[in-house]
Amino acid sequence: MKTNYLLPHQFKRIGWIIFVPAMLLGIFFFASEVDPPFLNIHVFAFFDDGAIFNGDEDVIFGITKNNIFDELIGLSLIVSMVFIAFSRQKNEDEFIAKIRLESLVWATYVNYAILLIAILFVYGMAFFWIMVFNMFTILLFFIIRFNWALYKSNNTLKHEK
Amino acid sequence: MKNSVRLERAVLDVSQAELGSMVQVSRQTINAIEGGEYNPSVILSLKLASVFNKHVTEIFELEESDWACD
Repeated sequence: MKTNYLLPHQFKRIGWIIFVPAMLLGIFFFASEVDPPFLNIHVFAFFDDGAIFNGDEDVIFGITKNNIFDELIGLSLIVSMVFIAFSRQKNEDEFIAKIRLESLVWATYVNYAILLIAILFVYGMAFFWIMVFNMFTILLFFIIRFNWALYKSNNTLKHEK
Repeated sequence: MKNSVRLERAVLDVSQAELGSMVQVSRQTINAIEGGEYNPSVILSLKLASVFNKHVTEIFELEESDWACD
């Protein structure tokens, strides 16, 4: 069966190779909030509302100073998880496409249920961090649910003759 | 929807994996169809019918519950 919009199977391995170190760095960044000084550089920005954090003037389509550690982590995590989530399975077919769709719907519900709860009951910086996590968790929930469903489907096979 | 894929496969004397490769799907898919867990697409149903040398309606049969609205 032709499955549109999926990446070639090899992208899954590349995704895992990027994901593991990116995740470890992400946890390190969240726990320590350290910004390595050598990553302080000038970057182009569509918009930098720096006033919120450090009192700088707004930058619109211009150059601004930034530590790119969190950008590198965010970029690596999103790209790697998209590779893992949306690369074709070796035996991709219509049944796996069904599992894929169900997992995506499930992940979207869970992700936004958490966000709704956070909107109602979490305030301050904790809410900000939940918003940050929420960018990644939809893909993470999908990967977990999809692979669990595939594992379950494989597991029932062992009992079949 | 009821189906007789397991029975027809036994008549043909092939494994789930072999049948899967004959109709270009995975072994999991054949297993899910036989278990009534998954209803195949029209194309796959026609491929299965062709492999078994039967009409689709001889392999797949609607049940009362298939007419119920969700």
